[in-house]
Amino acid sequence: MKKLETQVAVIAAGPSGLAAAVQAAEDGAKVMVFEKSNVVGGAANMGMGPLGIGTRQQQQQMVDISVEKAFKMFMDYTHWRVDANLVRKYFGNSADTIAWLEDMGLEFAGAYKYFPKSEATWHIVAVNGGIGRNGGAIMNKTLMERAKELGVEFFMETPAKKILKDKDGKICGLIAVDKSGEEIEVSAKAVVVACGGAGDNPEMIKQRTGYTWREDLFSFAIPGLKGDGINMAAEVGAATTEMSMEMMYILPNSDFGPDCIPATFMQPNLLVNNFGKRFMNEEEMQNTTFTGNAIAIQRGKIAYSIIDTSILKGYKRNGLDVTNFVHHPENIDDFEQVVEDSIANNNPDVVKADTLEELAEKLGINVDTFVETVEEYNEMCESYDEVFFKDRRFMKPIKKGPFYAGTFRPGAYGTLGGIKINENAEVLDNEWKPVPGLYAAGTDTCTIYGDSYMFLLPGNTMGYCLNTGRFAGEGAAAYAQD
Amino acid sequence: MSQIKMIIDGKEIIADENQTILEAALANKIYIPHLCYHENLNHSGGCRLCVVEQEGVGGVVTSCSTKVAEGMVIHTKSDLAEKVRKLSVDLMFKTHPSECTGCPKYGKCQLMSISQYIGDTGRSLRDLKIRIGADESNPLIHHEMYRCILCGRCVRACDEMRGVGALKYDKVNGRLQVVVNGSSLSEAGCRFCGACVEVCPTGSIRDKVGVIKEGVSREKALVPCIDGCPANINIPKYVRYLREGKYTEAAATVREKAPFPEALGYICTHDCELACRRNHINGAVSIRNIKRYAASQDDGSWKVHSFQKPETGKKAAVVGAGPAGLTAAYYLSKLGHEVVVFEKLPQAGGQMAYGIPSYRLPREVIQKEVAEVTSGRVKVEYNSPVTSAKDLLEQGYDAVFVAIGTHEGLRLPLEGNDLKGVYINTEFLREINLGNHPEIGERVVVLGGGNVAVDCAGSALRLGAKEVHMVCLEAEDSMRASEEEVAWTKEEGIQIHNSKNFERIVGEDGKVAGFEMTSVKSFYFDETGKAVLDKVPDSLETIDADTIIFAIGQRPAVTEEFGLKLGRGNRIEVDEKTTQTSIPGIFAAGDAVTGTASVIKAIAAARKAVSQMDIYLGGDGYIEEQLASVQEPEGRIGNWKHYAELERTEPNVASAESRCHNFDLMDFGFDADKAHCEADRCLQCDLRARIAPQRFWNDYIPTESKEVQNG
Repeated sequence: MKKLETQVAVIAAGPSGLAAAVQAAEDGAKVMVFEKSNVVGGAANMGMGPLGIGTRQQQQQMVDISVEKAFKMFMDYTHWRVDANLVRKYFGNSADTIAWLEDMGLEFAGAYKYFPKSEATWHIVAVNGGIGRNGGAIMNKTLMERAKELGVEFFMETPAKKILKDKDGKICGLIAVDKSGEEIEVSAKAVVVACGGAGDNPEMIKQRTGYTWREDLFSFAIPGLKGDGINMAAEVGAATTEMSMEMMYILPNSDFGPDCIPATFMQPNLLVNNFGKRFMNEEEMQNTTFTGNAIAIQRGKIAYSIIDTSILKGYKRNGLDVTNFVHHPENIDDFEQVVEDSIANNNPDVVKADTLEELAEKLGINVDTFVETVEEYNEMCESYDEVFFKDRRFMKPIKKGPFYAGTFRPGAYGTLGGIKINENAEVLDNEWKPVPGLYAAGTDTCTIYGDSYMFLLPGNTMGYCLNTGRFAGEGAAAYAQD
Repeated sequence: MSQIKMIIDGKEIIADENQTILEAALANKIYIPHLCYHENLNHSGGCRLCVVEQEGVGGVVTSCSTKVAEGMVIHTKSDLAEKVRKLSVDLMFKTHPSECTGCPKYGKCQLMSISQYIGDTGRSLRDLKIRIGADESNPLIHHEMYRCILCGRCVRACDEMRGVGALKYDKVNGRLQVVVNGSSLSEAGCRFCGACVEVCPTGSIRDKVGVIKEGVSREKALVPCIDGCPANINIPKYVRYLREGKYTEAAATVREKAPFPEALGYICTHDCELACRRNHINGAVSIRNIKRYAASQDDGSWKVHSFQKPETGKKAAVVGAGPAGLTAAYYLSKLGHEVVVFEKLPQAGGQMAYGIPSYRLPREVIQKEVAEVTSGRVKVEYNSPVTSAKDLLEQGYDAVFVAIGTHEGLRLPLEGNDLKGVYINTEFLREINLGNHPEIGERVVVLGGGNVAVDCAGSALRLGAKEVHMVCLEAEDSMRASEEEVAWTKEEGIQIHNSKNFERIVGEDGKVAGFEMTSVKSFYFDETGKAVLDKVPDSLETIDADTIIFAIGQRPAVTEEFGLKLGRGNRIEVDEKTTQTSIPGIFAAGDAVTGTASVIKAIAAARKAVSQMDIYLGGDGYIEEQLASVQEPEGRIGNWKHYAELERTEPNVASAESRCHNFDLMDFGFDADKAHCEADRCLQCDLRARIAPQRFWNDYIPTESKEVQNG
């Protein structure tokens, strides 16, 4: 068996692991990183940037947000059911982390909101000097290059399989498997677990959250996120936490297709459940977490977004009512063509019908109730939404065929939580005592949202990963060099 | 070949004059983004990612197609080069989805990695997505045109590497696409080699879910038959040798990992076939019969390559002359140790000779191969039972290898289990093979549904039984016997009663008179191994019978007196790594350790144990040898119309009427024509493993790997 020796071993090279590696190396430790994939960055390569509070960017843009305000908002939102010390430390350090990344040469386009009601905490990584796609990937590249500069060694396609503990109960290394299938024994004083959750492990999702993947949950199964970190940590005595899904809502088969479809159906028009009844103020549809929650408690965990030809024409002429960073097509000129293609490809997400009755039949919902709902809705469009108090601007009647429906289901970015840590990213055992030498960061440990992702402070998940990664790196380096 | 000096990004490097700028840069760990370039393909210069500025030349040049020259000065990161590169990536995202969500290639995608490196905007150009669904018509390969960036690597791989040309570019509805060159892949002459999948940089062409094993090394995943074989025999290599008519080379390839190639050709449990990728198309390649034919043609010329180490002066004892024991004896002798094999029975072969009936495996084949294996400094003492392994150490043997198999059949605690006319599988088969034909009645019931039960039933029929039944707890689709054997059994008129619980053996005057059973809806085994049954009420049935044969399992015929620690099922306990038993110097492997398994598993386990024994005896434990020549497979396998439809070749088998009254060989295997036909069906998965693996920018950042040591 091949043998390696280091002070700090980091499992996985997403933002949490990369931040831990850089921080530990800056603090003088010898660091090795073991990554399953060929590409660094993990799920965060799809993201755009982390949360920061009290940053230079916010001062310059005159954004009114402070650690105190964010903390209060956050604790109100979570009803104090989450680790306040960890939240406080994370928020308090978040501005320094943005500056830390800038010192490495990373540029930010600025601090942004995700949707109008949210705060401008989202620090979007500049892509070619502006806002582009996948800034997270560039951030991860910068972190890796910085880590290499500091002498961190990377082992790609070399997943860790087991964390090792000595007879005194102290962590003493790990076993990894290289690309030829050969086991490597790594001796290390401290190990940082940062594996990004179990989004690609339907069995674990079922066991820990109750959802059945692709039956009532259409979450992203980001390849490789098998819950390895959670399992390995539990094997060496880590206490487990509740796990939840980082909820949103989705057109399961159309989300990665042409943007005109998801973007149009996410507009705040008529949203009905399986009974053909409204169940929420559609204005909230921009908050993907809230909407995902609301859909998840409807019968069959399903909802239909309805538009008519007049609404479609209006969007084509004047643009959509609301857009966000993910869904903002230049125009939706090809909407009808994409609908035709989708129907031809048996994509169940999209339904088209000439009459309301036919639409209801195709959707398999009660025709009378649905027609009644539409009639009532159309009446309210002339006065006001006396049921859910939706803003008048978004009250557009559903009258002119053909009609279109988009079928939304609960989706999720991945899992949250699994390993119990304290505010220093030390992994705790069942008596809440730190397991000596074991640290964990990022999604594997993220239970700070309570039951629902805190969308009002965007950039939260990546921010949490980077900051807890730094806490873990700092702690591991100090422990390993003690 | 001469060397030149050049400068890339201010760094002087030495390159081979035949290299391109890109090759020279990569060899010196200077990364230049590239996508359409692939080590095993001709340069096309199409993606324009690898552009660089060359001093003295205007504009940019594509580094993948420009040869190096003495004194050349290259700037890979000039503004112009970066600008062209960014534009190229943006162009790729015109058609490729801009979000990675939902893509199974995520984390292993070269386009993702390149976009991470270059930092594309992806939004400055108008989207022009191709809106067509996934093509799932192929059993192995999944094609999603909407993820394609038209780098052309798949088309070039199919054409240049393989000479197949099953893929081409074509305009469909005014848009250039990669399409099949025909109405289907089969029509297009696809050989299902997987080269297109291997070179695809995005998630556009992928292996179908379930086709490639996850969590194992690339080689194991890509060549599943070798991974499936317990002894890791290089199957594609010997199948190819057979196709080329090099039968001895083929047999030698088997022999590199297993010393009984021909016997295996008759009776191997062929885990390789279960893993064969062609299962997903139209049935596995009949690998076992190919091996059998090759082995039957072996002229022994491999012997000159067989290693023989000088005498070590060490003496080893082997207990049991079955597949495990003989394999161990063979290699121990080759390693220079003196070997004595103690065999309880009058003949060698273990279960091959005393369990498996002669109509499945001719005794001459066993004798021939045993003679081969024991031709060195191996002495076999027949009719020599060993009562204590420990005593052998005291008698002066330096190490002992125990491979006593599982020769004690189990008798269930069932009413009537000791009546006259009740037999036990192992004893019954052993008696036949010793030539003492046991007395058999007219109506025989075999209890059990595994391969041994099938052998008992077939033997009973051949001994003259008029009616033979098999009764087992398992349902038809989950019987432990192989499908092929169950089918043959049925052909011979043996009646199989599935999903039955054994109630009792009915006796009359101390003799078997019948068998009672009830139907079972479902069952499972609890933690203690006890069957928990859900019986069908009032389903009691009786079969009139005069003979009952228990074939419900077997265990090692060993007691504590033997001196070794025994575990569950009376099996010998060994350390997994060292294969050593509870007594240092005594090693064990095969059925006696694992419970009844297979000949190939016993051979594989014995090889592992021999390595450990040799180390124990002061050797290096190295037993690998190269008996067949090195093979340089031809990658250009060529186009073959309707290759996918080539049906699995079935062996020549004696008719049920002609075979069920005698112990003559029933399965004649392949003749040369059939062997060649079948070998043609091999997809040659090993070719794909020879394609250079995909690399990423982070692979080129220099690392100084320190303190790596071999322990």
